[in-house]
Amino acid sequence: MPSTITTDVLVIGAGPAGSMTAKWAAMKGARVLMIEKRQEIGSPVRCGEGMSKSWLPEVGIRPSSRWINLEVEGARIFSPREQAYVINEKHAGNEVGYVVERDAFDKQLAIDAGNAGVDVKLKTAALSLLKEGRQVVGARVKEYGETYDIRAPVTIGADGFESQVGRWAGIPTNLALRDMDSCLQYRMTNVDSDVRYCDFYLGKVAPGGYVWIFPKGDGLANVGIGVQCSQIKGPGEARKYLDAWIANHPAYSKGKKIDMVGGGVSISPPLKQTVADGIMLVGDAARMIDPLTGGGIANGCIAGKICGEVAAEAVELRTPTKEFFQKYEKGWRARLEEKLYRNWIAKEKLCSLPDEVFDKVIEALQSIKLEKLSVHNILKAVNQTHPEVTREFAELL
Amino acid sequence: MPGKKDLHIESSGQLCIYCGACVGMCPLNCIYLDETRITFDERICTRCEICVKACPVAAIEIG
Repeated sequence: MPSTITTDVLVIGAGPAGSMTAKWAAMKGARVLMIEKRQEIGSPVRCGEGMSKSWLPEVGIRPSSRWINLEVEGARIFSPREQAYVINEKHAGNEVGYVVERDAFDKQLAIDAGNAGVDVKLKTAALSLLKEGRQVVGARVKEYGETYDIRAPVTIGADGFESQVGRWAGIPTNLALRDMDSCLQYRMTNVDSDVRYCDFYLGKVAPGGYVWIFPKGDGLANVGIGVQCSQIKGPGEARKYLDAWIANHPAYSKGKKIDMVGGGVSISPPLKQTVADGIMLVGDAARMIDPLTGGGIANGCIAGKICGEVAAEAVELRTPTKEFFQKYEKGWRARLEEKLYRNWIAKEKLCSLPDEVFDKVIEALQSIKLEKLSVHNILKAVNQTHPEVTREFAELL
Repeated sequence: MPGKKDLHIESSGQLCIYCGACVGMCPLNCIYLDETRITFDERICTRCEICVKACPVAAIEIG
């Protein structure tokens, strides 16, 4: 029999959602152990590295030059004809505001967790969940080659897009092809990007997704692409589309690639269920990524705070049940679900729009000043000049 | 395996970038990622080819 250690809350995965959950559970008095399968928290980076800033105080993150590359003024959305619509940062989605060093950001959140009393184990992978009947009571793990059990009344699955924990717990997390993006990004140097903006290119350059440029200053930028899986026909299309886009843009084709990262992103409606007896899912593992922007950090952290607080309370009250975890389920949904759902509907429509329509939408937006940027306001504005374009979106108007 | 096409995951690092997109998208959860190795369970895999689409760098082939 493998040996056993015990804790109150076991957090599997030390990304932003995991660290945030761990920190808040510890701050509310629980003993917390966070495990990370890699040897280094935050590395390798699998991210575009753009984030908004309005949500940071809500979860207790203090902006720091240790992880902020630069602050952008806004975003530019480029139509297929490459007409730009400029969005001020305050009105943009969750991806604009700071361009960050994700490895340093993730490490800072882990440091905050550690300082709050969380124990951290690196090079420790979860192998399976421990169960007593339907109740999850921890996980069997392998730390540096040694297999043992960690028993905990509350287990948190914060293991990212490729989450195993949710599947082991029997929580349905499978996604439809149209609700997933295949993504690839190069970090490029010697490129001419405008450091005032994060740029997004729509249309058939990236079917069902977009090409992004997140400037990092000094001629450095993250140049990446997400392509909707249901629009992919053959192997390696994300790379083909991205390479084609770069080849067609002289400001980038002269650049040098110094890094390459890939990954999957969910662009799905919210899951029906993110908890079971003894277990809660958070962040990308719970499919909390914004389906319109593909951004997951803010939502993962916001839900993480709620998750950590509920975890600590369940430990204190000895109620780590599916029923008690409804407090988390309801909490994160009250904060995030409506927007996730609306943005999923918007994504569904946008993914099928032909380039001519994108051109018309951007054209219409250029001529209007919006008070507040939201899918609803954009559609209302476009409806005034191009009602034929918004007909499909009637349910969002 | 009779009736099944060959599925080949190039995970020696010549093509694979170990991003895990295939792992996350496999509907049967039969692809496994180590830091430097990707394997799949021949018995479970139905050759649905979702991983082929998921892979951003054409490291997975089916034939």
